Amino acid sequence: MDSDLVLVIVVVTALAFDFTNGFHDTANVVATGISTRAVPPRTAVVGAALLNFVGAFISLEVAATVAKGIVQADLITPTIVFAGLIGAITWNLVTWWYGLPSSSSHALIGGVVGAALAAEGTKAVVSGGLLGKVIVPALIAPVLAFAVAGLGILCAYWIIGRLRPGSVNRGFRHGQIVSGGLLALSHGTNDAQKTMGVITLALIANGNLSADNFDVPTWVVVCSATAIAFGTYAGGWRIIRTLGTRIIKMDPAQGFAAQGAGATVILASSHFGYPLSTTHTISGAIIGAGAAKRLSAVRWGVAGNIVTAWVLTLPAAGTMGAIVYGVTRIFGTGALGPVIVSVLVIGLIAATFGQRFRHVAPVPAAGESAP
Amino acid sequence: MIATIVDWAALRDVVVASLAAGVGITVTFSLAILGLTRFADMRRDERLVGAWAYAGLAILGLAVSGAAVVFGIILMTSK
Repeated sequence: MDSDLVLVIVVVTALAFDFTNGFHDTANVVATGISTRAVPPRTAVVGAALLNFVGAFISLEVAATVAKGIVQADLITPTIVFAGLIGAITWNLVTWWYGLPSSSSHALIGGVVGAALAAEGTKAVVSGGLLGKVIVPALIAPVLAFAVAGLGILCAYWIIGRLRPGSVNRGFRHGQIVSGGLLALSHGTNDAQKTMGVITLALIANGNLSADNFDVPTWVVVCSATAIAFGTYAGGWRIIRTLGTRIIKMDPAQGFAAQGAGATVILASSHFGYPLSTTHTISGAIIGAGAAKRLSAVRWGVAGNIVTAWVLTLPAAGTMGAIVYGVTRIFGTGALGPVIVSVLVIGLIAATFGQRFRHVAPVPAAGESAP
Repeated sequence: MIATIVDWAALRDVVVASLAAGVGITVTFSLAILGLTRFADMRRDERLVGAWAYAGLAILGLAVSGAAVVFGIILMTSK
């Protein structure tokens, strides 16, 4: 009974994490298409939400990697998965607070690995899986996306360089409808599968599935797809309100090359089961498309912050996961620990958001000048 | 040690597939736009042979771009 309650808490927490993943990453998926005026904002957000949903059904290779390729599934308990999820959510909140562009995917994997290390020691981690399936592909993917987008846009400028900008921009805007759709599809494929993998891991830990031979249950796929799609839809409206202030200026050809590069790298990696950071891959593609035109067009400070966050996220989320596991175990091995930690985290999130919104300056009324 | 842990063959396939598909789609779609734009210009100038040659390039570019997208999705769903 206790373990089933922990399992329910893990599933709800994982789906909440999936929702925030969609909410947080909507900007990456839709910003390029909106900034080049290829797609109206409302259409972009609704389309991205639908394609994120569809993308989650395309492949299960990444889910299998998360469920059995990184930690020893037979040594994991639902409490370890719970601690990993809370560690990831906590790290995401910390980086959100300080404005660091961290990866939710790395936080999730780091959190679960940290909690597993704290619970069972090094034997709980498939060290080869962590290095070969997560760390090395995570290093390669943004650099690859940078190179693909950069090479693509250089070729495109060579081909269309002497044409009238009007007809070229119109053409690439139409192309961006397809490349943007492909990017949303690839995002849903890779990111929703991480949640599926974590829920599957919890089901194995609880004895609902066999560690040796398992399929990701259909209800897990449907719930994960729905959570990321709703997150994308909800996050999209927030992004639309901030448009015009934070979006990178690029022409439609650059947008097409960046979206195409991001989508192909994510889809190819998903095909081989690599759970990479979609945020970093899309950022790498955008920077590549910008740098190929003019090096000074890239905000290298932002690129530096991405690298810093990349280096910090796995160990920091791992430490958080280990601490949360330690705190949970103070209350024993039953459901009491996860219940108390869940209540504490919900309270912490409410207090954090409350304080954040109290410090936001009120928007001046119409006709009133800002101070 | 890293050489044995990392599946370099799979990573090489990811790099080759991403480069071929990512750069390939941008190139073929650029050729389609070149074809469409030149077709319109030449047709207006009544240079019909050149116009239809560029129309062919545009159709070919669009067809290859579309086929690459469809092939990629089929490959993903078939595993």
